[in-house]
Order: sequence, then structure tokens, then C-alpha cells
Amino acid sequence: MYGIPKYGRFRSLKIHRIYTRDSVTTRNCPALLCLPGPTLTPSLSSLLPRKSQPSPAFVSKKKPLSLSLSVHESLAMQETELHDLSDDADYAASQLQASASMMRSDGIKRSSSSEPDGAEIVYLKDNVTIHPTQFASERISGRLKLIKQASSLFMTWIPYKGQSTNAKLSEKDRNLYTIRAVPFTEVRSIRRHTPALGWQYIIIVLSSGLAFPPLYFYNGGVKEFLGTIKQHVFLVRSAEDANVFLVNDFGNPLQRTLSSLELPMAVSVASEPSTSISVGESPLNENQERTDVVFGNSSASLYNGKQRQKKASNVTEKIPDGSPVASDPLENISYMKHNHVEEAATNLGTFELIDCKEVDKLTLVWGKPRQPPLGFEEWFTFLDSEGKVLDSKALRKRIFYGGVEHGLRKEAWAFLLGYHSYDSTYAERTYLRSIKKSEYETIKFQWQSISPEQAKRFTKFRERKGLIEKDVVRTDRSLSFYDGDDNANVNLLRDILLTYSFYNFDLGYCQGMSDLLSPILFIMEDESESFWCFVALMERLGPNFNRDQNGMHSQLFAISKLVELLDSPLHNYFKQHDCLNYFFCFRWILIQFKREFEYEKTMRLWEVLWTHYLSEHLHLYVCVAILKRYRNKIMGEQMDFDTLLKFINELSGHIDLDPILRDAEALCICAGENGATCIPPGTPPSLPVDDGSFYTQQDDDVL
Amino acid sequence: MATTGNKNINAKLVLLGDVGAGKSSLVLRFVKGQFIEFQESTIGAAFFSQTLAVNDATVKFEIWDTAGQERYHSLAPMYYRGAAAAIIVYDITNQASFERAKKWVQELQAQGNPNMVMALAGNKADLPDTRKVAAEEAQAYAQENGLFFMETSAKTAANVNDVFYEIAKRLPRVQPAQNPSGMVLMDRPAERVASASCCS
Ligand SMILES: Nc1nc2c(ncn2[C@@H]2O[C@H](COP(=O)(O)OP(=O)(O)OP(=O)(O)O)[C@@H](O)[C@H]2O)c(=O)[nH]1
Ligand SMILES: [Mg+2]
Repeated sequence: MYGIPKYGRFRSLKIHRIYTRDSVTTRNCPALLCLPGPTLTPSLSSLLPRKSQPSPAFVSKKKPLSLSLSVHESLAMQETELHDLSDDADYAASQLQASASMMRSDGIKRSSSSEPDGAEIVYLKDNVTIHPTQFASERISGRLKLIKQASSLFMTWIPYKGQSTNAKLSEKDRNLYTIRAVPFTEVRSIRRHTPALGWQYIIIVLSSGLAFPPLYFYNGGVKEFLGTIKQHVFLVRSAEDANVFLVNDFGNPLQRTLSSLELPMAVSVASEPSTSISVGESPLNENQERTDVVFGNSSASLYNGKQRQKKASNVTEKIPDGSPVASDPLENISYMKHNHVEEAATNLGTFELIDCKEVDKLTLVWGKPRQPPLGFEEWFTFLDSEGKVLDSKALRKRIFYGGVEHGLRKEAWAFLLGYHSYDSTYAERTYLRSIKKSEYETIKFQWQSISPEQAKRFTKFRERKGLIEKDVVRTDRSLSFYDGDDNANVNLLRDILLTYSFYNFDLGYCQGMSDLLSPILFIMEDESESFWCFVALMERLGPNFNRDQNGMHSQLFAISKLVELLDSPLHNYFKQHDCLNYFFCFRWILIQFKREFEYEKTMRLWEVLWTHYLSEHLHLYVCVAILKRYRNKIMGEQMDFDTLLKFINELSGHIDLDPILRDAEALCICAGENGATCIPPGTPPSLPVDDGSFYTQQDDDVL
Repeated sequence: MATTGNKNINAKLVLLGDVGAGKSSLVLRFVKGQFIEFQESTIGAAFFSQTLAVNDATVKFEIWDTAGQERYHSLAPMYYRGAAAAIIVYDITNQASFERAKKWVQELQAQGNPNMVMALAGNKADLPDTRKVAAEEAQAYAQENGLFFMETSAKTAANVNDVFYEIAKRLPRVQPAQNPSGMVLMDRPAERVASASCCS
């Protein structure tokens, strides 16, 4: 069955798919799951809608897409595995010849390089198989393709339908492992394994550090695969390990500027192709959020398997100055398990992640595509007639994956922050608001009633007030909400913060608090409501500002543990370079990434974090996700502590939130219980474990 | 190295001083030639570098800008440890910031590198009308404590480059052999020094 037809034959076939986010599954698209060779009957291809436009083209995000695929059903590409390819210039030439002869043998019209915008299959190999478990009976075979569109190269691996050797492997499993259009801008390296006995296989590592399961080439073709890639993207053999091929390696300064997925400036460029390859002919008349849904660009897949554990430790990467950097971030997570069944999704639908145990510790997880933000209409479906939230978990989950529309934030944030409880009614909330308003006025009056005379003898008050005044005038003044002389909202910031420093006198005012309050006031637009929401936020984040820094230390410590778990080479790198204190993450944590993203994105991130949906500590996984995004650059450029801190500070404004959230989600799921044990009990935003006053008496005159 | 040999020096410099004294503004002026009226408060620390040519040598300053609030004081030693130079900044319109500056001087004298070059900068010199700290008072204090003193304005750029230039001139040409801690910026591998100078 695994044999491919010995006769070469090409069939030209146009595939047009209408893409919709929820409904399309691979089942709707038999052509992509068809069996190789003769089984692709004309009747099957006639199931596909035909379209007559002569030169269908890939187009970018918002326009309809149609794809003319020429299905190359059999081999024709001879396995010229006589000489080693990798850095051999002749190889590329021979491949060009091969593909030219292929073209000649192709009597039927097919898309080719003469159609610059078209997608072209430049490589196709059948019977490329993954081994989800160690049992030979549970294998999934499929078709591996390299598709070129414009100047971008993508890889797909689609399992065959109904061909599984074991009934246990359901449609669901096939979906789970399907690799859909991964752009090579997101591939870091490919490791080739050529065991003396058994099949050759490759492991593809993404730039996020995550990897796909090994792909076994039952019919050979690894060299050809690499050779084809080399014709289209920058591929070099690692100086450290002849079996590792680096994609878009940053060692070469020219390439660094050209292909730098990891340079902040290039982030948007890099994510472009992942959205543009989505296939379909109806307009993707979605907003940006929906478009992101189409192709999880950095579809963070995680894999850990036995083969990998054994081989992983010798994987090294070439870096500019020649010292080796271990590149396998996953060698340490092989023992990770998560027992809960989670939903995950690809562009083609939602499915459940299988329990790791079921598939012998093999995990493949995508961060779920981001959804459009929750709007009013949908919001009301979460409320009963009295205004109680019926299923707070479902609501939090919804917000976790999409955030909240701007106009709804005022309402939703009060719940997320815990100011309103989910089971309160409209009437109860209205009542609470009025009670809280007078309570606020009472506290505010405490400092308002301090006369100038009294203030002269009240140093602490004067200092606090002075400090707050210095900070509010330099908080988000570029926003129209806060700009201009004698801005009323700036005065509100001051009053609320001063009132808070009386409400929580022990904690007082600390730099960073004005950053935390600013978006809250911007959303709530009401002094008392903003105050109480800020109070609720400080219930969670107050320990960040403790004089003894214990809240910060426990979070920085947790990050170091998580990096150790999720990316041990990076951890070792930080260890060697005296960076284990993770102080370069200080600002991220202290003010919840407020300075790292533009205002709107910060609010989006905050509401996602505040759901506490997957974890109270998702923000720590966000840190890990960002560090992993830039790990190659950090290690490749041998950054030391100061360079690293400068680099991290300068990432501000250049981090793309959605992919980071997806990575963070995937990392959180994959770390599972082991991740949770990295985080000491009582780490903010968890409430402190020890009761009693958690702000030790602060004295600002120590110095 | 005092006179011949490698004339390209890397020097770690730390800025200390009260909240809002203008530490970040001074760095921004020196490194980027800019002034931002609503310069955000510094959270944690920030790092910059800038190279100056002094006579026939170049000094690459590796500058740590710290957060001013007393609450974050416990982080300061991490930044001034191993520093070759420090600028202690106060705001001439704010007496408390001058008192705070004196405490920083004491702390550096007790804890810092004994060969550290220290400068006292009375910032916001463009605001003479609201002045609270007399230049003479600060000058006298500086003299007593072996610092050099200048009044600066990050806003008008007055004396900003001069402070750094003056520090550069006073740096011992022979760098200390070893610094005690991990965050050492002084003894870089030769090729990094060379690359720093070729870009300057
Ligand atoms: N008029 C005038 N204003 C200045 C000068 N230097 C700084 N400022 C202003 O003073 C405020 C505080 O300046 P920063 O540079 O942020 O002060 P900082 O010492 O870094 O403060 P922290 O980071 O909070 O410790 C900002 O609003 C600046 O615009 C100056 O020379 N003249
Ligand atoms: Mg500052």
C-alpha cells in the first residue's frame, strides 16, 4: 500500500475552497486528503468546484484567494541521492534541471513560475509518516508538500484520509497532526536523521522553539526535500552538526537584515505570508482579528517524543562567533503531561487535544486562534434577565480568546477585576456603585481636609503628594485623554492615587502605579469606579510594589524556573551570562507590560490576563513566549546582561501581541502541572498565602 | 595603557538621584540630543551607550539610568557596582532632591568603587526663578567630597555634554584589573572595544 505508483503521471487540478472560520474541515475538502496516484479519480476531482479564470492568484489578507494547484501525483523527481547536497551548488543546478524535465513531461497546463503570483508545488512526497506512539500500528501517513507562493515558501503535511492503520486513530487525530501551510519564515532549523537501520526522518523546529513531530520518509526523499528548500530560502548547514540545517540563519549579516524574523522591525513582515496563503475564493471579509484566525502563523506546536529525547542533546546551532549554542528547547519537557483535555484549533476548525497519556506523551498543541473581541450582543447572552452572569467560566474563556470590544470594557472590566461579582444582579451593582461612591468620597476627604498648615508638619503626606504629582504629569500625556495643560483627567489620576495612598497607607504610592491606573480611568471615566477597580487590581498586584520586592522576586524566580523547564538552552545561556536574576523582565512584570505595547494592545492583554482562565500566571508565560521569540537573537549575538536589558527595553512597541498570546497559551498548556510547580504559592497575582498584613510597614526615609 | 596602547576605553556610568530630577532627560540629551517634556518615569533601569572622543582617545560610556523612587533603592547596588563613574543628579528647584543627592554620595563613598569618578549635577538650571538650591552651596559640598560639580539643563542642553566630557577626562586610563561582580562592563574583550571605537 505504501508503494507509490512507478509510473509518473501528472494531473492538473484546480482546487478552490471557500474558507470560513468554523465550518470548513478537511472533510469538506477531499482533494487535500485524497489518496495518492490512481485513487484520485476524475469523479473525485469533479467534486471540486471549477472556476474558469485563467490565472488565479494568491492575494493578500483581505482579498479572495484562489489557488491553482497542479497536483503532482507521483514521483517524477528522481531520488538522486548519489551525492550529498546541502552546501553543494551543483545540487541546486541539478534540481533545476530535474524540475525543468518535470515540466517538459507535464503535458497538461500547470501553474508554474511563469505565473508569478500563483502557488506552485515545488516538492511533493507521499508516504511521509509520523509515529505518534512507539507502536508501528499507530502511524499516520500523509503527503508532504512544499508550496511556493510569490517569494514565500510554505510546507504542508496532510494525512491521508481513511488510511490509518489503526482504528484508534480517528479523524480527530489526523486533524491534530496536520501541518497546514507553515511559512519558512517561521522555521528555524531542520534536523535530518539518517539511521543506519530504518527510515530517514526530519524534525522541523520553528523559530518559536517549538517543533513538529518527526516526519519519516518511507519513500526516501530527504535530500531532495532539503535541496528544494535550499533553492527557495536561505538554508545553511550548521557548522556544529552536519545534520542540522539552519533556515534564515542570522549569522550572515546580509541575511540578518533580509530575513530577520526576529528583528522587531520585521515582525509584521514575517507574519504576512502566513495570512496570505489561506485558500478560498470567497472574500475574507473579516477584520484583522478574523484574518489572524485563518492561519495561526506561529502555530505553536509542541512536540515531545522519545526519539527526540534521545537525540536532542547534540543539536547545536552555528552562531556568529562559532561557539555552540544548543538549539533544542524541548529536550527538557519530555516529561510534561497535562491531563486535562483541552480544545485547540487550527485554521480548519476546532478539535480536542488528545490527552498526552493516550498518545504516549506526544503532544501537539496549537495556541488557539485569536477571536474577535466580545461585543455587546454576545455579552448579553452571558447574562440572565436580572443581569447575573450565568456561566462565568464560559465568559472568561470567551474573553481569554478574544478580549472585549472597547465599548464593553467599562462593564466587563469591573467583573474581571473582581469589583463586581459575577452573580450580582443589575440592581445590586447599581446599589454597590452608590455605596462605593460615598465610601470613596470619605477616604478622599481624609487628605482633602489636610490644611496647608497641617501639611507643613506632615512630611510623609507632602512627599507622597509630590511624588504622585511628578508622575501623573508624565503618564500617557501623548494620549488625547491626558494631554494639554491642566488636563482634568490628569488631576483625576492624582486624586485617585492620593486617595489610594490613604486607603492603603502602608503600601502608599509607588512609581508604576500611575501606569496601572491610567487605562482604568480611561475606560471607566468615573472617579469612584476607577478607584475601586484600581483597588481590585492592586489586591492582585500590590505585592509588586513591596519594599522588600518579594512580589517581584517570586515572579522573576518563577520566570527563571519556567524558562528552565520550557527552554533549557536559553536557561543555560542566561546562567552562563549571569542573567538569572531576570531583572531585564522587571518592567514587564511590575506594570504588566504597560510600556511594551501600544495602549489598545495593553488593554487587550490586560483583559486576557485578568480572566485567569488558563492560569492566574499567564503573564509569566507571556514573558517566556517573548523571550523564546527572540532567543536566537539573544544567544546568537551573545548578549550580556546590559545588552540584554537594552534590547528588551527597546522591544517596546515592536512586539506583536496576538502571536505572543498564542505562544503563551501553548506554553502554558504544555507546561501543565510542571509549569504550575515552577510558580511559588502566593506569587502575584495570586493572593498571598500568609494572612495578616501583607504590606510590611514602609518607611521611605531609609536612605 | 595610561598613555599608549589601547586608547579606547569602555566605562560604566550610573545615574542616581531623586525622582524627577532629570536623570533620564540628561541621558536622552546626551545620547540622542533630544528632550521630552513628559519623559516617563523610569521603571527598573534603562541602559544606553554613547562614545566620546577625548583628546586622542575614545571613551564609550555604558550608561545605567536608574529609577528614582526610594522604594526601588534596593536595586541600586546592582547598577552602581563596578561602575567607573557616577552622576548624581538633583533638581535645583527642589531642596529635597539635593538632600537625596547627598545621601547617594554617602552611599557611593561607602559602597562603591573607591576610584569612581563622581559628578554632581544640579539639573533644571533653566528654571532660575524657582531655584531652591544655591549653586555655591552645592559647589562647596562637591568640593568637600571630592566630586566635580556643574549645573545642567537637559532642556536647553547647557553643560550636558560637558559633564560627560569632564568625566571622560578624569577616568583613570588604566582600568581596574577585575571587578567583583557579574555586572561588569569595564573589562571587555579586546574586539568589542575595537568595534566600539570604529563606530564612533
Ligand atoms: N525645565 C526642565 N525640566 C526638566 C529638565 N530635565 C528634566 N526635566 C523634566 O523633569 C521631569 C522628570 O525628568 P526625568 O528625566 O524623567 O527624571 P528622572 O530623574 O529620570 O525621574 P525618574 O525616572 O522618575 O527617577 C520631566 O518632566 C522632564 O521633562 C530640565 O533641565 N529643565
Ligand atoms: Mg528616569
